[in-house]
Amino acid sequence: MVIADYLLAGLVAMLTGLDRVALVQFMISRPLVAAPLTGLVLGKPLLGLEVGMLLELLWLGRLPVGAAIPPDDTQVAVGATVLAFSMGQMLGLVGMPMVILAVLVAIPLGKFGQIFDRLARNVNDRLAVAGLKALGSGNTNGLERRHLMGLISFAVSSLATACVIVLIGSVVLFYTAPQLIGAVRDTGLSLQYSLIIVGAASLLGTINVNRSISLFCAAFSGTLLVLWMR
Amino acid sequence: MKSPRLSWLTFLRVYFRSFLLQASWNFENLQNLGFFYLVLPGLRSIYGDELSTHAQQRQVTYFNTHPYFAPLIAGTILRMEERLHAGEDVAVDPDAYKKMVMAPFAAMGDALFWGGVRPLAALIGLLLASQGSLWAPVVFLILFNLPHLFFRGAGLVLGYVQELRAIETLQKCRLPDLAIRLKESTTILIGVLCAYLSFKGCEHQDISGVWGFVLLPVVLLFAWLSHKGVTSLFLVLLTTSSLLLLALLF
Repeated sequence: MVIADYLLAGLVAMLTGLDRVALVQFMISRPLVAAPLTGLVLGKPLLGLEVGMLLELLWLGRLPVGAAIPPDDTQVAVGATVLAFSMGQMLGLVGMPMVILAVLVAIPLGKFGQIFDRLARNVNDRLAVAGLKALGSGNTNGLERRHLMGLISFAVSSLATACVIVLIGSVVLFYTAPQLIGAVRDTGLSLQYSLIIVGAASLLGTINVNRSISLFCAAFSGTLLVLWMR
Repeated sequence: MKSPRLSWLTFLRVYFRSFLLQASWNFENLQNLGFFYLVLPGLRSIYGDELSTHAQQRQVTYFNTHPYFAPLIAGTILRMEERLHAGEDVAVDPDAYKKMVMAPFAAMGDALFWGGVRPLAALIGLLLASQGSLWAPVVFLILFNLPHLFFRGAGLVLGYVQELRAIETLQKCRLPDLAIRLKESTTILIGVLCAYLSFKGCEHQDISGVWGFVLLPVVLLFAWLSHKGVTSLFLVLLTTSSLLLLALLF
């Protein structure tokens, strides 16, 4: 992976990070989109899709309501894609086991996203005060400028999170991946699917509808029986 | 009633500015600067160069709602400001209206978009992704953004044209019921996805697909734990460490 690749990945990290709260909210920040997008700029869209699949459901049930800040699954997705690609190349480890290891290392580091996001919002507190002061002196353009400057705090916070995930993740993977890759390979599909299933269960646990368990059980049983009898 | 004065160009500017509502989201007043930024083209069009201090102060107070519902509120507010500028009476003060609707709209938007449309679109995308299709992110984005972009635009026009009656129109749309239907559909898709993965796992192990039912109580247990507040991170660590330990031992 060359410097240009890291720069492009950084750009994706900022763009998708802005989409989380500050800009548009088209949902390019969802792991299912952010990771393939990172993979695309690195020339490995399928690797990104694999990362996105594993991460998409994990924190989907955590709503960005009011002042609540969920873990930064966007940067976990971007960081894990970069890690799987760069460390895979460096250590000569490719395929799904490397993707799983990169994702497992990146997931806990998503906590840093909450810290940086909180810092960005604190910086925006000061921008808001300055904006109101500008408005008080009749300068509406000044307020507009302060408002748009908030984008910078969010972009920097996203980039910082992605950098921390890639830096710490690289060190951790450098020392652990060669030892663990065999065990990950031995688990077959179990480990890969377990991540998606934990995400699905977490989402199921947060859906507040009366018949959720009955609907889930009926859909699960019906689908499994149809697949089995095929 | 006076005929609408805001031009389509102003409407478009307000619409596109709604994408930047949360650019300066802050802990003190949340979306206050964002809402002022959103309605500013409309206020400038109404008040011209002499944007009244009164109107300015009304729009920079504490504000927090679902971002997709903000254009609807902005539409109503701009119509109210027009009326006030023309010396007409308004039933509710614009600031009081904002404070009255922002929380219910936030709850409605969270349930409909974050709790309904997004998980459903994500699961459909995920089912495609599990087949290795790179169309998965595209399909997800289309499924999510069609209602999203329509809602922003329709909300702005509805708020401006109907003013306070927009609330009645929303009630007639029964959005909370729609959110429940979407959540139920999501639950069904979670079941389909888990069953599919379970069956594929059995196929990979060369055992009968019926063994896939073993996964059902496991998912239910994890869902219960999640409902009780156990974090996804803990569940991931628990599952992966157990599986890795088993792989290392045997």
